[in-house]
Amino acid sequence: MSVAEIDPVASSTRARIGLSASGWVGAAIILLYVFVAVTGPWWAPYGATKILTGSPFEGASLQHPFGTDNLGRDVFSRVVFGTRSVLTMTFAATILAVLAGGMIGVVLGYLRNWVDEIGMRIVDILISIPTLVLALLIISAVGNSLWLVVVTVAFLFTPRVARVARAATLNVVTNDYVAAALARGESTMSICLREILPNIMGVMLVEFAIRSAFAIIFIGSLGFLGFGAPPPTPEWGLMINEARANATNSLWPVLAPAAAMAVLVIAINLLADSLSRLIDQQGVSPAKGDK
Amino acid sequence: MSKMVLTRLGMALISLLAVSAIIFWCVEFLPGDAAERILGRNATPESLALLREKLHLNLSAGERYLHWLTSLLSGDFGTSLVADRPVLDYIASRIANTALLSGFALILYIPISIGFGILTAIYRGRFTDHAISVIVLIFMCLPEFVIGILLISIFAIKLAWLPPLALIGSAQSFGQLVELMALPTITIVAAMSAYAVRMMRESLIEVLDSSYVLMARLKGLPKWRVLLFHALPNALGPAINITALNVAWMIGGVVVVEAVFEFPGIGRLMVDSISHKDVPVILAISIVMTGAYIVTNLVADLLVILLNPKLR
Repeated sequence: MSVAEIDPVASSTRARIGLSASGWVGAAIILLYVFVAVTGPWWAPYGATKILTGSPFEGASLQHPFGTDNLGRDVFSRVVFGTRSVLTMTFAATILAVLAGGMIGVVLGYLRNWVDEIGMRIVDILISIPTLVLALLIISAVGNSLWLVVVTVAFLFTPRVARVARAATLNVVTNDYVAAALARGESTMSICLREILPNIMGVMLVEFAIRSAFAIIFIGSLGFLGFGAPPPTPEWGLMINEARANATNSLWPVLAPAAAMAVLVIAINLLADSLSRLIDQQGVSPAKGDK
Repeated sequence: MSKMVLTRLGMALISLLAVSAIIFWCVEFLPGDAAERILGRNATPESLALLREKLHLNLSAGERYLHWLTSLLSGDFGTSLVADRPVLDYIASRIANTALLSGFALILYIPISIGFGILTAIYRGRFTDHAISVIVLIFMCLPEFVIGILLISIFAIKLAWLPPLALIGSAQSFGQLVELMALPTITIVAAMSAYAVRMMRESLIEVLDSSYVLMARLKGLPKWRVLLFHALPNALGPAINITALNVAWMIGGVVVVEAVFEFPGIGRLMVDSISHKDVPVILAISIVMTGAYIVTNLVADLLVILLNPKLR
């Protein structure tokens, strides 16, 4: 909000629109990805797993905008189909984590008693294991189907979200309307859901955006290491890993999914940045630096 | 203060203990037991029973956990199932390699983050600031394996300046070692510095706007003196926190970077051991990495306490 305070013209226009210009750019790019994910299968030129749509390692052409990979699969179609699996996995994992972590954080922050004490110790312990190490262990133990990866990522993010939700709750819980609700005799559940939750919605929204950017990177890294969705799923990390061995023959199969992933993550970060500036006046800063 | 330090130490120990239980429990769920994995197709009921006896698999999980923990405390990490060597010997050289890579990265990371942080702060709002900030934002968003792949595409494949893989075992001289380590080091530095530059910029700008810096300028001190001796020391505080976060991140992130460049470090060994289901090695590496992670956070916490007179 610092810009808006200094510049009266900006404050009159930006306060009404809400998001900054970069935030809108981010939102537009994300919408484009969602559009591609939803409609892609209807207009993608080839199937995601169809081999020999052309000869292997073709460069970019009208038939194959991003060339073909070692099996002659169309890279453009695979990136388009990948949008669907990547967005589905990312948002499923993030929604699960934000719901579970949000509930845990709000309840702990509201209770502030021995349950909170024990809960936060458990959260601290879970956070002290490097995410990737724990993810590799869990996935190698339970197997790497698409949905197990989603649940694993959600499980890893939950304590981190819980911490943010608890911090936000602590800022809200001292307000008079919570005391009033308590005096009215409302139950704990109803106070958490109806009094606290609506007031930390902004923080949770930013947390959701930041977490989904992490989730894309994380799911991509797992796919890249061979611990994500199993082949031939058109998941970007996995595609990069498969194409890497033949990078000397053609760079398209490596660079196209990498660029698709990078642009999406940048877009989400732009939106998250601008969202967090919007709700900064609430005085709670969301997760920072937990890469 | 000593009470605070002791509490933190106690917490770290409890965390490590709890984590060891979680990791052991995860590995318990790996399909098949260790005896079946070692013998593979040659398994006969008799040999399986014999080996289970030898590996204490006939004991309950709880007893085995205690047994593992006590031998761990006496420095015995068990024997690798694949290499048939003591795990400690096996992973020691890999740890040394990873430490070398992290060391290279840290040596570059500190001057780069401080330098670019200063540049963006003193040229704030001008072209230099915008250009660096955009690059920083991009590096902050790129996953480390994408940065690594881009570097390989440009410097190893298109320009053929540097080797694409960091197989440092083949290095003959220090120069060759540096050449092989260049790309993985740059990858880690790029991923780590991005956030640090941004933090450095913010905290330096805050300090530069304060009245004591204005006072120093009005006294007529040269700009560089004000910057280096008045502003910078006070802007470094938040940077220490970020460095701790970065080092903690590096402990996990190094797994991916090592996989990109096939660097023979501990992260790559972790991935290989998981695919070979070499349980003692997996357990040992997980514990070492988590231990390093916890110690890093502990050291950072203690540093912050030491540097902040209010907390002392």
